[in-house]
Amino acid sequence: MRFCRYVLTIVVSLLPAAASLLAQNVTYEQLLHADSTPQNWLMYGGDYKSQRFSRLAQINRENVRNLKPAWIYQPSRPLQPIESSAVVVNGIMYVTEPLSTVTALDARLGTKIWSWSAHLPDRIFTIGVHRSNRGVAILGDTVYAETLDAHLVALDATTGALKWNVHVDDNGQGYAMTGAPRVLDGKVIVGISGGDVGIRGFVDAYDAKTGKRLWRTWTIPAPGEPGSETWGKDMSGTGGAGTWGTGSFDPELNLLYWTTGNPAPDYNGANREGDNLYTNSVLAIDPDTGKIKWYFQFTPHDTHDWDAIQVPLLFDQTVDGKPERFLALANRNGFYYVLNRATGEFVAGVPFVTQTWAKGLDQNGRPIVLPNTEPTSEGTLVYPDGHGGTNWNSPSYSPQTKLFYVSAREIGAYTVAGRPKVNFPDFGGGGRNALPADDSYGAIRALEATTGKRKWEYKLLAPAEVSTLATAGGLVFCVSNEGNFFALDASTGKLLWDFTVGGANAESNLVTYEVDGKQYLIGASGNCFVSFALPDSNSSVRGKSPTKEPVHP
Amino acid sequence: MPGSTTLSERETANIAAYIGKLDSATNAGQATGDPHKGEALYNSSGCSACHMIAGQGGSIGPDLSRIGAARGPTNLKARLQDPGANLPQVGDGPFGSRWTQYLMYRAVEKDGRAVEGVRVGEDSFTIVLKDLGGKLHGFRKPDLRSLEKEPGKSFMPSFKETLSAPQLDDLVAYLMILKSAQ
Repeated sequence: MRFCRYVLTIVVSLLPAAASLLAQNVTYEQLLHADSTPQNWLMYGGDYKSQRFSRLAQINRENVRNLKPAWIYQPSRPLQPIESSAVVVNGIMYVTEPLSTVTALDARLGTKIWSWSAHLPDRIFTIGVHRSNRGVAILGDTVYAETLDAHLVALDATTGALKWNVHVDDNGQGYAMTGAPRVLDGKVIVGISGGDVGIRGFVDAYDAKTGKRLWRTWTIPAPGEPGSETWGKDMSGTGGAGTWGTGSFDPELNLLYWTTGNPAPDYNGANREGDNLYTNSVLAIDPDTGKIKWYFQFTPHDTHDWDAIQVPLLFDQTVDGKPERFLALANRNGFYYVLNRATGEFVAGVPFVTQTWAKGLDQNGRPIVLPNTEPTSEGTLVYPDGHGGTNWNSPSYSPQTKLFYVSAREIGAYTVAGRPKVNFPDFGGGGRNALPADDSYGAIRALEATTGKRKWEYKLLAPAEVSTLATAGGLVFCVSNEGNFFALDASTGKLLWDFTVGGANAESNLVTYEVDGKQYLIGASGNCFVSFALPDSNSSVRGKSPTKEPVHP
Repeated sequence: MPGSTTLSERETANIAAYIGKLDSATNAGQATGDPHKGEALYNSSGCSACHMIAGQGGSIGPDLSRIGAARGPTNLKARLQDPGANLPQVGDGPFGSRWTQYLMYRAVEKDGRAVEGVRVGEDSFTIVLKDLGGKLHGFRKPDLRSLEKEPGKSFMPSFKETLSAPQLDDLVAYLMILKSAQ
């Protein structure tokens, strides 16, 4: 027996990523306390608060200048944007690739372990939708992913074998899926894309074991339901309000926060008078029943394509001696909002980018719209453009600095109203014409989380659509639109490191993890995932990872 | 036109932006001058020091081998008179936007050395400028003391005062017959 135990010890020590060869078993309890295992990145946003913050501190202000590529992984199907946010468990990384492929990689080496691809039909409707995917979710030994043709699949985390495949809705009517699912205790929650072409948005919950649908919450009320009076006429079948972001969750309040997209047709609201609930809103949903407990609408009667699908970021702070639970969202419409996440009450809201369409927000957070800002047939110059002050790419929040880090887009566009077209697939209300690239720019901005007051900014050549990632190493990472990975001092915004990968129009969500005592940074630009790490002489510094300092959520 | 069923939002936006930017004035006007006189003016005015036609000439400014197919007489005349105010734009910018070509910058290094040149490449952290001699200068932006755009400026001189109106028309007429690479 003693010999056998010895052999087992040897095997385990020789295979530091040995867990990777065994079945995964990610429990709900682990997900609830995701920040306590910072070597893993267990879900979209890093934790249920979607703070995209890591307690890893091996890579820090002092040594980040030495960061080098560790490996590069090129997906098999190029020429589509990679928007995946990696999930890392026990040394195995799960990413999605365009169009609808899930791949498991050795997170230390970048070596492919398995890959699963959906059998997509020859013709897929992805109008107004990137033909991409933002990542997977994991629970137990199962990886969950969405497909472009609107299926939700469950895959064995060890082999990639298909466990179940459910048809969420009809891609032939414009329903598509591009998001990363959110898993709770025994449930898989998903949203839907296609809001620009007249779908009726919804949030769905599925049984994680069987794939059986547990509930569906429509984001546009049916005639007679509360909120239906905010539509001039019944458009409940085609009004849009896609749900293509990934929501956040407060287990103590038992509330799921999911955001919604624009009303359809987009740039012309002539035939949809009213506020058009629940478009461009955040919904607080009871995850047991799907019932909407409260909602907050950011842009009533939107005519500028300002989906509110940004990730709702949850943070707690003590204000005037009182502990508060907040929800923060930097919106495509150019305003940064802070809400009481228990009640939905508006707490604060200020512009975080140039905006020319509203005088401000009233005491309830409703925008005071300026005249002559509606799209016209000639075009009306409005800031921000249709991609907004920021877009789907995640912000981050550091409990250490209490700052909210957002990739800000300083860009306007001429918004053009066309004839509303409402017969799928010929659906739309106009469009936009971009200003010259030299008249716009991007920036990473650090906002005081409770007020939105700007603490610092770092300017970029062009508006970026990449997440920020904050770490206990005192760093904020991002990638420019041109494919420059870079790190800023989280307290001051000072540039500390950059590395050019190239690949125009980078779009990705950054993640960090640790394998065998070494911290890695993973993101994508162009057609490549690139993983960075410190050279061995730097990463062998002990006592740095994870941070020993208390981190207050 | 059938509705698009496979374009991404970005692709759709790019096409919309491109269509929106098709400036009818770009190809407007009528060439009234004498192209043979214009060719002689081209050769005597030093244009080939900076411009290339059919593989012959300099590379500071745009290759003019197909300029007659890309631009119209009104547009070309305006560029000859005020080159910096009419810089061309190309459609590979982010989100359907277009970058300005031949945009001039002045970069000052920390030791005070300055370089003035047209941008040939740029990202958020680096820029490459080409000076009047054709030499390339690559900089990391964080290492510079200052980097300023010089909108409205161009290495190309204005011919508004140095050529008469008929001479400008002749030069435009010559440029308009340059339709394809030789």
